[in-house]
Amino acid sequence: MSASRISLSALFLFVVFTVQESAIARINFPITGFSLFLAVLIGLMALEDRSGAIALGFIGGLILDLSPTSNSPFGLWALVLTLVGYVIGANRESIGDFTSRPGAFVLFVALASALTLLLSLILSALVGDQAGNLTRNLVVILGNTLWTFLFAPLVLPLLSLLRNTTLTSRERS
Amino acid sequence: MAGRGGNRSRLLLVILLVTSLFLITLDLRGVSITDKSRSATQTFLSPIQRGVSTLFSPVGNFFSNIKNFGTTKSQINDLKRENAQLKAKVIFNEDTAGKLKKLRGALNLAGRAGYTVVAARVIGKGSASTFSQTITLDAGMADGVRKNMTVTGAYGLVGVVKDVTASSCVVLLMSDPTFRIGVRIARSQSVGVVIGQGDGNFVLQLLDPSGEIKKGDVLVSLGSDGNRPFVPGVPVGRVTSVNDTSASLTQEAGVKGFENLNSLGVVTIITKAAAQDPRNALVPTPEPTVTIYVTPKPSVDSMTISPTPTPTPKSSKGK
Repeated sequence: MSASRISLSALFLFVVFTVQESAIARINFPITGFSLFLAVLIGLMALEDRSGAIALGFIGGLILDLSPTSNSPFGLWALVLTLVGYVIGANRESIGDFTSRPGAFVLFVALASALTLLLSLILSALVGDQAGNLTRNLVVILGNTLWTFLFAPLVLPLLSLLRNTTLTSRERS
Repeated sequence: MAGRGGNRSRLLLVILLVTSLFLITLDLRGVSITDKSRSATQTFLSPIQRGVSTLFSPVGNFFSNIKNFGTTKSQINDLKRENAQLKAKVIFNEDTAGKLKKLRGALNLAGRAGYTVVAARVIGKGSASTFSQTITLDAGMADGVRKNMTVTGAYGLVGVVKDVTASSCVVLLMSDPTFRIGVRIARSQSVGVVIGQGDGNFVLQLLDPSGEIKKGDVLVSLGSDGNRPFVPGVPVGRVTSVNDTSASLTQEAGVKGFENLNSLGVVTIITKAAAQDPRNALVPTPEPTVTIYVTPKPSVDSMTISPTPTPTPKSSKGK
């Protein structure tokens, strides 16, 4: 993954983050809200190679750490998403190519975002953050998974398309 | 080749993990870089949030509207009747009226206590990916808002200003699990702590082991040193259940907040507390109390012949 692709992806992620914070967070979803940013980030990571997934995870985590509404210590999301990026990258071969399997892609993104939230909950508990009511947090994760599952089919094909148009011919081969 | 790629990515992983841990350590040690970067993001986001808020306010409640849209016949009939009423009102801007009502309620509460306040509109909500519960308001440093100021709505406490930029601020809602506030039971003057639970329900821990909590007890804020983060006398909630376990050291009770944190439109930020503690003056009147305004009917009936009623009996009744 080249430096220009990383910066392009970072820019794209920041735009998604702005949309998430200013528009999607406004909608009163039943149960709890939906994180478009996590879905997009995990989608991008699943399409990248090993080190690409790790680097994207770290950058995405830093952007999420910038969220002014966040309560967790700065750097926690970077840690969580770097780990998630590593796990996705390490299972690169068994995951395979998602571009031709949209159903599996949606399922993967929904489950991976649930696991990401769970991991962040565990890590924030480890650094001594008060995470509050466990059942409430599980409901938050469940709600987010459900909405990701419903909305990802709209977002992920666009993501694959966007990625293909920005790929250089050398990377494509 | 694959082994080399694996090594490279492992090295990258280690570097990035160490960087993240370094950042977390910095933040936990209270280095202000992290706070500043979050404030900078808020400064960048607030104009966008403001724009989106004006565009989005009808869409924002789309899902809750759908959820409450029953399909039963009675509800359809209710809606039909309501529709007729709305037609009669023709061009009545409901959005503006709603905002006005909330603003009036919020200002009313603050006015009764003699607080100096800044009214602000909610322009953003905490994102779902963070477990914290916050709202973003369109008032900031320029309006006199500072960190750790109390935020109230029409019925009582909403939260506390957590972060402030030039023209916006982030408010930690009282429902956030990290939220704690010292309260006083209005009836018995016992002191306790109310803890957020992530929704509209709270837990009250009484500090005095011999104190007594009763269902229906009203809680008002105790106030903090220098009136920050909390000014005294703000209604917090009402006790809904008492967990009476003689084994535990502190007494606990379930509390329901006065303010509906899911439908905040306009809130007020208390920039200056009242000269003296308003004590229990702001506690909402109990729901069962029905106020009946009696108009002097018999005299009106008898006076049907003379259409101009004399003002004297009215004023004596009113007092």
